Amino acid sequence: MMGRSIATRVSQAGLGVVVRDLTRERTDKVAELLAGDLDREIERWGLTQSEKKAILARVEFTTELSKTAGCDLLIETINEDFEAKKQLLVELDAVLEPEIPIIINTSTLSISELAQGLQHPERVLGMHFLYPVTTTRVVEVVKGQVTCDDAFETARRFVRILGKVPIQEFESPGFVTTRVIMPLINEAAHVVMEGVASAGDVDLAIKLGYDFRYGPLEWADRIGLHRILNWLEHLFRETGETKFRPCPIIRKLVRAGHTGARVGKGFFTYDSERSRLDRLPDDSPKLS
Amino acid sequence: MKVLVLNCGSSSVKFQVIETSLAMIEANADITLARGAVEKIGLSDSRLTLDVPGCKPYREIAEILEHRAAVERVLKVLVNPDHGVLATVSEIEAVGHRMVHGGEKFASSVLVNPEVEAMIEECVVLAPLHNPHNLRGLTAARSLLPGVPHIAVFDTAFHQSMPPKAFVYGLPYELYTRHAIRRYGFHGTSHRYVSIRTANLLGRPIEELKIVTCHLGNGCSMAAVDRGHSADTSMGFTPLEGLLMGTRCGDLDAAIVPWVLAMEEVTLAQLNAMLNKHSGLYGISGVSSDMREIEAACATGNQRARLALDIFCYRIRKYVGAYAAAMGGLDAVTFTGGIGENSPLVRGAALTGMEFLGIELAEDANRDATHGEEVLVSRPGARVAVAVIPTNEERVIARDTVRVLGGVMPSFAVAGNEAPR
Repeated sequence: MMGRSIATRVSQAGLGVVVRDLTRERTDKVAELLAGDLDREIERWGLTQSEKKAILARVEFTTELSKTAGCDLLIETINEDFEAKKQLLVELDAVLEPEIPIIINTSTLSISELAQGLQHPERVLGMHFLYPVTTTRVVEVVKGQVTCDDAFETARRFVRILGKVPIQEFESPGFVTTRVIMPLINEAAHVVMEGVASAGDVDLAIKLGYDFRYGPLEWADRIGLHRILNWLEHLFRETGETKFRPCPIIRKLVRAGHTGARVGKGFFTYDSERSRLDRLPDDSPKLS
Repeated sequence: MKVLVLNCGSSSVKFQVIETSLAMIEANADITLARGAVEKIGLSDSRLTLDVPGCKPYREIAEILEHRAAVERVLKVLVNPDHGVLATVSEIEAVGHRMVHGGEKFASSVLVNPEVEAMIEECVVLAPLHNPHNLRGLTAARSLLPGVPHIAVFDTAFHQSMPPKAFVYGLPYELYTRHAIRRYGFHGTSHRYVSIRTANLLGRPIEELKIVTCHLGNGCSMAAVDRGHSADTSMGFTPLEGLLMGTRCGDLDAAIVPWVLAMEEVTLAQLNAMLNKHSGLYGISGVSSDMREIEAACATGNQRARLALDIFCYRIRKYVGAYAAAMGGLDAVTFTGGIGENSPLVRGAALTGMEFLGIELAEDANRDATHGEEVLVSRPGARVAVAVIPTNEERVIARDTVRVLGGVMPSFAVAGNEAPR
């Protein structure tokens, strides 16, 4: 999903994109889902039919890694799987010209560790696109221990071309956004588990109290509770801080398959368009 | 004098080479030697087109990555012995540049120098989608043609004669003084050109005429041209206000905006796209943003297409009445732009039943108005003339270039009307 969203945003910015996946079936599926994403954006008035056509025209799908050789910049978007990412990096390092930056899309993994042993580790850096990629304005750009300034500056310029704000960071578990938001989500889940307030009330309190677009639990549902669990476990492992120890209620929901908006159920319930169904009466827009 | 006219967008450079002079302007006898465009700049399959009257159109696909390379390519193709129109680049004696926004700094076209370029730069904040690309083209052309004068012609300049009562919004005044939020108006070169041509067609000096000009194209705007000066116009701070357009909503109760933001949970970008790209003829009809398709759908009984057409024409009618009242009289109504020039149905629906104002449309003349010609479509002897005048913004840019260089227009920046600060 992340790779698809990034490809959409890059094409929307007027740049050509090569999307590479392992099999033809997978690239076909990505193409179909990408067109579906654009259709949903048209329904939300965010795009026009002709813009959709132009976006699709700039995206090329392939299964061949060698097709990426002509690109000016490469972004890998495998889910947070260290070994799989490492394997791909080794292959890319051999295919791409040494000056082409390789960007690892991650919110938790170590850039320096992933770059270790490559022929050109200095061109590797991290980028953390936040959900939803097409509308979120910020991208974390993360410098590893040996990342060179040229690659880093190219990446920052690229983020600006996408119409987003690059936040310059040094490598640290969870970077900024994940590290700060995870304890909030985890604590909200603890409050629910302790019976202090219902999930709906916890979210409403934080949403209205601090002028958030969504409460932390709905936000977690929209990101996917399996991802939240994965991130928390990783941060807990890396830092040893108990604030990152996953709240049991999150684990329970994930084990039950209630991973959030995409499957229709998490802390809250959602329809097929991922609109929340169980909003409290006070959770409606007011102009005064 | 051969003038190169450049109109640079985000991923395109449109160009014309026009031969003109003060005498040719007087005789309305300027000659377009060539026209063309570079499109899809920034991609590997950029497309260059060149059309020279009487010659086979020339097309080429090449990788053109930025505006400087595009202008360079244009110059190259213009001097190509096989399909060009110039023997050498030195035949270009001046370059006219289309600039979308001149803010309050420019009330007329101007000779570009570093100081002027810096002033244009300051207007970027008012037209962030257009001025940066205009400027990029200007910079490229100045470096490629350093020995010739470059003239900037602004879409907003003609409307800088509006009085404060027409351009200040009923908002807290700080929004004007802090952020320059006010009506600017657009399509200025078109409104100016067709109002002058209308006076010419009527054989009367423009200084004694009150004209309402209707530029109806993909974007639509109207202007009250009082004795040659814009007294009011329908587009505002941005080109969204005023008439219904292909995909733009035009006039709207501003309170709808926060309501929609709250009720539909859309982002600002989605809301902006909704108002600019999903509204207007397209939004209402659900059929198309193209008036020809709306008219065709009306003919098959499509009620929403009919409603869209009715709203479109009704707004024009309201503005005609409003501007006649604003000017205290009316001598002519002029239609231009793709719809204005080609849709007798729109002209008829907008103006029928306005005899009380002196407007009497001649049905036959309106129906038979020939594409590309300047004609009157009102009844002979009617108090108000109705004209159809094909617009030609590139010609205005070329003419202003000659006028500025010939000393007929000032070459320095002339500021527009301002309200008290």
